[in-house]
Amino acid sequence: MTLSGRDAYRAALTELAAGDPAVVCIEADLGGKRHPFAEAHPDRFFNVGIAEAAMIDMAAGLAAGGWKPFVSTFAPFATLRAAESFKLALGYLGAPVTVVAPYAGVSGAWFGTTHHCLEDLAVARAVPGVVVAAPYGEAEMRAVVTAAAASGRPHYIRTGRNAAYDSLSPAGTALQLVHWANEGASGEPCLVSVGEEATRLCLEATAHDPRLAHAHLCYVDNEHLAGAAKALAARHGRLTVVEEHRRAGSVAEALALLLPECRVNSACADERWPVEGGDHAQTMAQLGLTATAVLDAATQHRHHQETAPCTSS
Amino acid sequence: MSALAFTEDLQGKRDAAERAKAARRLIVDMAASERGCHLGGSLSVVDLLLAALDRAEGDDGTRVVLSKGHAAAGLYAALHVTGRLAENPAPHYGQAGHPYTGHPGPKVPGVAFPTGSLGHGVPYAAGWAWSQRLKGGGGLGIAVSGDGELQEGLVWETLQVAAARRLGNFVLLVDRNGGQNDGYVEDISPLPDLADRFRAFGCDTAEVDGHDHAALSAVLAGERRGDRPLAVVAATVKGKGVRAVEGKAAAHYVTIDAARAEQWKRGIR
Repeated sequence: MTLSGRDAYRAALTELAAGDPAVVCIEADLGGKRHPFAEAHPDRFFNVGIAEAAMIDMAAGLAAGGWKPFVSTFAPFATLRAAESFKLALGYLGAPVTVVAPYAGVSGAWFGTTHHCLEDLAVARAVPGVVVAAPYGEAEMRAVVTAAAASGRPHYIRTGRNAAYDSLSPAGTALQLVHWANEGASGEPCLVSVGEEATRLCLEATAHDPRLAHAHLCYVDNEHLAGAAKALAARHGRLTVVEEHRRAGSVAEALALLLPECRVNSACADERWPVEGGDHAQTMAQLGLTATAVLDAATQHRHHQETAPCTSS
Repeated sequence: MSALAFTEDLQGKRDAAERAKAARRLIVDMAASERGCHLGGSLSVVDLLLAALDRAEGDDGTRVVLSKGHAAAGLYAALHVTGRLAENPAPHYGQAGHPYTGHPGPKVPGVAFPTGSLGHGVPYAAGWAWSQRLKGGGGLGIAVSGDGELQEGLVWETLQVAAARRLGNFVLLVDRNGGQNDGYVEDISPLPDLADRFRAFGCDTAEVDGHDHAALSAVLAGERRGDRPLAVVAATVKGKGVRAVEGKAAAHYVTIDAARAEQWKRGIR
């Protein structure tokens, strides 16, 4: 059985820590009562209480002392409540702290808007030097966590609540700038998925219309996107970026700027506020994020004549 | 005390006093730069910084974080007169091509964390203390804060965590000069019974004269292997050492010309 993103994070970090005595795991009272890291490494697991900004700042102090802190709290608290700590510690100072943020997007669903975060990628991507990842599936999350621990660089890792997604690649597959989940037909638009639910929607959309290509991006900071953009443009001239995020600060915006010769449109939450209960998919639907909406956005591209890739490979 | 020890002690006090005067002269020089500087708070905090930096002189892993980063001029001066910063920062303060910004960043030798947005230096120092304790070391994490800065929630959030984590090697050294940007702390958002507040948060506390190097050194001396963080309320005078600005809220940020700087420097006490 595949693990959810946050369970995969916890499992991967617990295993990593067995071989890396510098890894410490810190939660701000949202780690649950039976955290596997706490059970395996109780001397390196800390619940600091409901203190997100202090947690990130103190993690910078720990990192200065040679530790590898992995801190976790829900995405709205990590990137909005503690935004300044994030900017200063991970960005300006470049402290090798990894922030792992479940409840990104509207995965909190019926918990309501305080527990949603449709702005986290905008915040994290706006802070230079931070590696930003939105892994899909257990294998990718495990690979991202492993890479973060080895990198010595600050990371932001976005994930959802409890939903589990079948990995696109087998465990142990090297992370790629672009994972081609569907090759699609020559000259057809390409869906670009960022994050768990967006990738699920794109898989659903390409199952319905296999002519569409589907490129999944795991790393979405500007450094990685620059490379990903080249790879995308080498194959496609029309991109539909799908993300459980607002348009402002989105990956769609970034790709549009990186690829002025391409046509880029977006299926995202834009400026809507979900105000009703419901499960994750229903909350997504309130935002207009459905497979139908993804297909509609890709179809808009078909109304334009250009079909060639933006650049020759 | 033997006669020799008394003489050495006296000499030590004279040296410390002369060093503090030298630091204050540098701070005044920075006020005379084209940028000016946060003069009052730099002059009030510099004795705290010197004592804390002296405490960090050993090899036990103690680090000092100036959390009231607007007193950058005070920090640069203290780093220079204690030998951590080789070049005289005053001629380069606020200048392009040099790292001596109005709030300190990690490009400055001797500065480990960026501060200036108030509150953050406190958890940086607490995190450092935590890092040492996890290693089994005895190094302190010393945060030097302002009293106005204590209006920031992050300070208290950090104290809550530090006490819960039993970081007895975390020290919060408060420059209680009574001033803040727009006036007096007492008029804007008072902090009565400050030591009691720290005790209620689980800290050991001390109250000292923040311009008495020996008293500050004594309160910072030794290892702290216990569980309770230490909060030191250091009574200081904003603008200390320069008669024209001592105790004046308007001394928060000052720009002066070279002639006035020379006059003020001659009168430093």
